[in-house]
Amino acid sequence: MDTIPLTAPLAPAASVRNAMRFEGSAGEYFKIWIVNTALTIVTLGIFSAWAKVRSKRYFYGNTYIGSHAFDYHASPLRILLGRAIALGLLLIYFLTVAISPKLLGLWYLLFIVTLPWLIKSSLRFAARNTSYGNVRFDFAGTYWGALTAFLFWQLLATITLFSTLPLAHRARDYYMINNHSFGQVAFKTTIPAGKLYKIYLVGLALIIGALIAIMLPYGLMPNAKAHEVSWALSVGVSSLTTIVVVLAMPAFISAMTTNLALNNMQLGESFKFESTLSPDRMAWIVLSNLVATVATFGLLYPWARVRRARYMASCIAVTGPSDIGNIQSRLIPPGGAVGEEVASFFDLDFGL
Amino acid sequence: MMQLIGLHFAPGSNHQAEASLRIAADGKSLEVLGSNGDLLASAPRRHVTITSRLGGLRRKLEFPDGAVFETADNDGVDALLKGYSGSLSRLERSWQLAVTSLLVIAAGAAWFIYYGVPLGARWMAAETPLSLSRMITNQTLLAMDGKILLPTTLPLKRQREIQDRFRTIAGWEDRGTGRYSLLLRSAPHIGPNAFALPDGRIVMTDQLALMVQNNIEIDGVLAHEMAHVNHAHGMQSVYQASLVPAAIAFITGDASQFAQLAVILPAVLLQSAYSRNFEQQADDDAASLLRQHGEDPGQMANFLERMELKSCGKTGCGPSWLGSHPATAIRAARLRRAPAP
Repeated sequence: MDTIPLTAPLAPAASVRNAMRFEGSAGEYFKIWIVNTALTIVTLGIFSAWAKVRSKRYFYGNTYIGSHAFDYHASPLRILLGRAIALGLLLIYFLTVAISPKLLGLWYLLFIVTLPWLIKSSLRFAARNTSYGNVRFDFAGTYWGALTAFLFWQLLATITLFSTLPLAHRARDYYMINNHSFGQVAFKTTIPAGKLYKIYLVGLALIIGALIAIMLPYGLMPNAKAHEVSWALSVGVSSLTTIVVVLAMPAFISAMTTNLALNNMQLGESFKFESTLSPDRMAWIVLSNLVATVATFGLLYPWARVRRARYMASCIAVTGPSDIGNIQSRLIPPGGAVGEEVASFFDLDFGL
Repeated sequence: MMQLIGLHFAPGSNHQAEASLRIAADGKSLEVLGSNGDLLASAPRRHVTITSRLGGLRRKLEFPDGAVFETADNDGVDALLKGYSGSLSRLERSWQLAVTSLLVIAAGAAWFIYYGVPLGARWMAAETPLSLSRMITNQTLLAMDGKILLPTTLPLKRQREIQDRFRTIAGWEDRGTGRYSLLLRSAPHIGPNAFALPDGRIVMTDQLALMVQNNIEIDGVLAHEMAHVNHAHGMQSVYQASLVPAAIAFITGDASQFAQLAVILPAVLLQSAYSRNFEQQADDDAASLLRQHGEDPGQMANFLERMELKSCGKTGCGPSWLGSHPATAIRAARLRRAPAP
């Protein structure tokens, strides 16, 4: 898709900054979530597609930049269809593998071949069903793009003993961000490799520290095996540490990588983004959300989701020569709507 | 004439202007008027897509040409366009219904945990072809043999004696001797133990064989493991372990890492609860088989108590709700009072 530079209607000196904000409330979402979950159970899962759309609409619709909110337009039937196909394939997989375990290799091959298509398709489905104001997003990534970004770079990282892992990360970010457009205006980010390497080094240091923390309880109890209770205790302490690490560390690192990607991102020529997520704060939110959710048997799950969305929105802002809400762009040329429909008929949401 | 106040968006654009919406004079069309009275959009009502009400979100009326009328006046939309209000939103706003939903979910979850998972796992285990469980057993043994399972060091005579007992007990079972086989292994790291693998192979460690004081005790252990094979408990626990997270992901629609981690603890506790049921079932089957053939299941109880004393001391092995087996005292008591068939 061609990038059409924005023609700024205002004088270049004027700069408008709009912060993102999330206006949903935990109480309101709790009722929506619980009623939809009950309906999902009563309908043996069929309603889950509708529940998903309502949930997404609630979060998108309450996320504002300036005067406009985002919105999610996917049809629940399309999501149900995607799930039905996925479930059908899973059943065929189990049946064929049960009959002849030798077919397993064939399935792996098939999976690798279709994975880029699944990624591309899901991203396009999500983008085309998302709007800001009355303008939709679009995704122009290709099959080969996904194959390169997700498989080739990952493979290369494995071959180079993970020394190129940050570059694989960058390839994924480029594929996902630089193929997106808002209306006919493209997103573009340029991530400095050096800064990404620095973040990954922090991650590596954290992993080493975490491994020591996980092994420590075993080391502290030399004859633990003789006493089941202290053995159970050290296993418990270790497992807890593992959960903390598995959950908090990705949140910590992804806060930094998200900042890096968004702070270097622009929409068209003139709109710049800023993201000031705090890594400790994100790790804390994710961890305390988990504790709150588990301790209340899931009752605080809606509160946890709202809390996370509210914090993330509060850290993101857009600056441009004019109010971003006033971007003039026509997405669908008159008469082009049918072609769009046909093209997206094969796009399904597989929940990737 | 009732009309709603909101914003008009030009087709496919974020260009917006204050506008109002009303039902046209013909009673069938919807019209959007600008603040100066210009007609900005108009279409038959059935061609206008009206988003369903959701929380306090602004309502959107999407016209066929791509123009949108947006308003925060949810009640106004519901009143003006009866039949579009969406009963779902009414349900979502009531606290009484939220509480009812909570009860439905709790009942559904309880049913699923007590009946759904065991039933589903039992069915899937029964449908699993022998070739698959043989493959899984091969993989398991491959991973353990030479590492934590070493060749047996029992004298040949003792090995033959144990295999004889094994054949005798297997002969008592309905499925006959061909269904099971016994592997003797030395396992210094595992200690006294015996376990059944999915395809009917049963492993007994030398350490266990050295702890028994008479052959009736061995009979009890073997009958217990054969019961695990009969009920396909091995495959059942594989399926149980995957059913719980899959169901939670399906119902919450959230397959994220967060959701998966949130269910680890409940899943582990559930898994050991299911496992304790399996152990009890295997004990009951073994006791009834032994009694049928005039042997005393109480001997197995003696053996279990001796095992516990050795591995955990006099204080016992910690809380039973965490363990994969019921408390030894309970198992022993149940074995001793097992009713004659």
